Amino acid sequence: MSNKIISMIRKELIDAARDKRSVMAGLYYAVGTPLLMCGMFFLLIGQLTSPEDLNIKIDNAKGAPDLVKFLASRGITHGESDAKDTKDIQLIISDEYAANMAKGLSAEVTLIADASNEKLQNSIRRLERSLQEYSGEMGSLRLIARGIDPRVMQPIKVNVKDEATPDSKAGMILGLATMTMIYAVFISGMNLAIDTSAGERERNSLALLLSHPVSTWEIVIAKITAVTIFAMVGLVLTLLISKVAYSFVPWQELGFAVSVNTSFIVMMLLVGLPVAIMAACLQLFVSFMAKSFKEAQSYITIVLMVPMMLAMAASYNIAPEAIQWLPISGQMQALIEFIKGRELPLTQIAVSSAFTLTIATGLAIGMQKSLKSEKIVFGL
Amino acid sequence: MLHGMYSQLRAQISPVLWRHKSASAAILMAVGMIPLAVHAEENNAATTQQACYVDGLSEQMQCGAISVPENYAKPDGKQIQIHYVVMPATKPSNRQEALLAIAGGPGQSAIENAQGFDRMLSKVRQTEDVILIDQRGTGQSNQLQCIGDAFDSALAIDESLFDTRVETQKCLDELDADVTQYGSLNALKDFEAVRAHLGYQKLHLYGVSYGTRMAQLYMRHYPESLATVTLDGVVPMQQSVLAIGNAIARAFDLLIEDCSNNQLCNKQFPDLKADLDKVDAELTQAPKISLVPDPLTGEATKLTMTRSKFKGALRMALYSPATRSLIPHAIHQAANGNFQPITGLYAMSMDNAGIAMGMHASVVCGEDWQRLTPELREQTNQSYFGHEMLKTFAESCAVWNMPAVDASFGDAIAGDIPTLLLSGELDPATPPSWGELAMEKLTNAKHFVAPYATHGVAYQSCGNDLIADLVETGSVAELDAACLSEDIRRNFYLNASTVEAIPSDDASKPDEQTALNQ
Repeated sequence: MSNKIISMIRKELIDAARDKRSVMAGLYYAVGTPLLMCGMFFLLIGQLTSPEDLNIKIDNAKGAPDLVKFLASRGITHGESDAKDTKDIQLIISDEYAANMAKGLSAEVTLIADASNEKLQNSIRRLERSLQEYSGEMGSLRLIARGIDPRVMQPIKVNVKDEATPDSKAGMILGLATMTMIYAVFISGMNLAIDTSAGERERNSLALLLSHPVSTWEIVIAKITAVTIFAMVGLVLTLLISKVAYSFVPWQELGFAVSVNTSFIVMMLLVGLPVAIMAACLQLFVSFMAKSFKEAQSYITIVLMVPMMLAMAASYNIAPEAIQWLPISGQMQALIEFIKGRELPLTQIAVSSAFTLTIATGLAIGMQKSLKSEKIVFGL
Repeated sequence: MLHGMYSQLRAQISPVLWRHKSASAAILMAVGMIPLAVHAEENNAATTQQACYVDGLSEQMQCGAISVPENYAKPDGKQIQIHYVVMPATKPSNRQEALLAIAGGPGQSAIENAQGFDRMLSKVRQTEDVILIDQRGTGQSNQLQCIGDAFDSALAIDESLFDTRVETQKCLDELDADVTQYGSLNALKDFEAVRAHLGYQKLHLYGVSYGTRMAQLYMRHYPESLATVTLDGVVPMQQSVLAIGNAIARAFDLLIEDCSNNQLCNKQFPDLKADLDKVDAELTQAPKISLVPDPLTGEATKLTMTRSKFKGALRMALYSPATRSLIPHAIHQAANGNFQPITGLYAMSMDNAGIAMGMHASVVCGEDWQRLTPELREQTNQSYFGHEMLKTFAESCAVWNMPAVDASFGDAIAGDIPTLLLSGELDPATPPSWGELAMEKLTNAKHFVAPYATHGVAYQSCGNDLIADLVETGSVAELDAACLSEDIRRNFYLNASTVEAIPSDDASKPDEQTALNQ
């Protein structure tokens, strides 16, 4: 790289650093998002897991004292209906419970709850599981009392071999986290991109810059590099903060662990670089096209919807096959595979990264051309 | 033909110190009786480790094996494979530490019991890896098993007609192993080798039943490798397991007392003790022979109801609170000539064993048989089970020819490793007094007695939470055992179907009951 470009990059970075407010605005996202995500998961885990002592309403508890005692040993007890920690789950023991039980028939209990209430689902399942366990135990003992081996009741034994690893179980959450990290690349460089293009034009320093003995190519490359550096700094910050913050969330209560380890960070940085370059080109291009700073801001916000949607499509696996070759979604999917401990799809990364860089080059050429037009330079 | 060791198990007169699987377990999962394939092709490799699955758990585990000499005095001699499973922590807090869970028996495979350990240690597993090792002679680690081929005739046999000496000799001849090398002390060296191989600096130990002996030996020989120890159903070093006969008699007395103190049970079975004595006396005179449907196949089969089967089935039923609740009904029915419930319980205990009888004999003959003093022998002979056990082991140990361990083997364990001891008041194998005995020279230990638990306290109460606390804090000082006293007692079975009070046939009854419930 020629000295001219390096000194121009320095100029861009110094310019950017002077405007502390826009630097901070970019970094707020990088720092804030992982923390917000962790806070959200903290709340979510608290809401989703069934409390150690589950209080429900048990009607006619006297009809089945042994069952009630069994449930109590599983931490499920009767709570007063107006008490705050009593869940909205009702268990009614039928009046004929003891009579049917004594005859060897099925004794009825009724479970009343709203299964669409996510906060209750784990508790409902826990109650159902406990009732099944009780029923299974009694069934076995009834057979034993009749001289029959209870194993005859289980004609099929299903052996499940779950190929998920602790890492892949966390895939859904890490997919979400990866999305916010990719997005950090776009957000962190955004202010600088607008400032150095539309902003520079508004301050009339763009024309001044063009009047120097430097080629438009050198100007474009310097601006792209500066914005890319900002984007990557944002990504590094997001990753480091995620690494620390995610380790504090009690994931084990959900049965898996989410850890941002070193190999993931390295992978993310490698995959993130082409994306950062494209993000820089895209944002600069859009800003140059806009007539004013304000206009650039609103255009970019709209344009950012595209990568956002691609990233979402990848993390929720909702889009057609083709998105695996597209920029961003392709890299996202490859990253998710990597997180799940599966083989890294190298072709996918190569193709989507190449695609990404092609778009970036196209945008850079466009920018280079446009800087020769008076319409763009003076915002006419 | 039946093998001696095999018939000994059938007759339920070995000191078995294992944790009995509950009845519900039998229906939710098949009992791990199928011997796992022995990996002959792995013999050359010193160590192997790969992702694997264990019976009853869908999660991926890490399995592996290390090669150790069968005889540590001949390091270049025959090598055997010691298999282990690492159940990974969900969110590891400290990669230098892990919990080693040791199974009972002697002769149970820890790996085959992985599901039970996993459920009981679920809190510990959130932050710690859990290691299971098939002790030498059990499970996949060169199992010393004498499999008889007369499984279907188990109901028909009369145990008193067996020549234990001949059958034991046959078993010994079939085993391709130097059985004298399968005692606890050699197994301990294997455990420590596995720890070193896996690279853990410190272990938390959980030993249940006979596993507590292994844990105590670990405390004696490698205290520097231990962070904390939990002994559940304690066999103190000072105690020969053959003294178990008194514990069994005690547990029977407690059961009868429990029933008479329970309003419903007492009303239904007012003469339980008399019933028990009556059946016992009848069967002592002569076994009852009848034709019954086989518990598993349903085919008509000859049942020779001997005293040994009757008492053995009841004894094994005492191990788990679930089957224990069926005992009064089973005794009452037997007194009325119906042996169906006893047959059912007997079939359960037969299939829940999974004990490698060869290894069992190596441990008991080397470590327990020979240190019985004449006084203790006299005392043990008093009880039915003690008498039967002494008789059987006198014959089988003569064949097994195990060298006796040093007298110092029976010294109390001393030390200041944080140690939690758990005993169940109703335990038919290791009574609370044995836990007290183990405490003798432990300076940093706490002993808790769970009033309503049988054998394997951590499986039946909040004992597992105490273990999780101990592992997390590394100290016994803060442990609060109040929750162990929570009344988790369940009702006894009042007939073959119910544990709830049986409503009378009185027509007015339903209304009365609704009135009561309002």
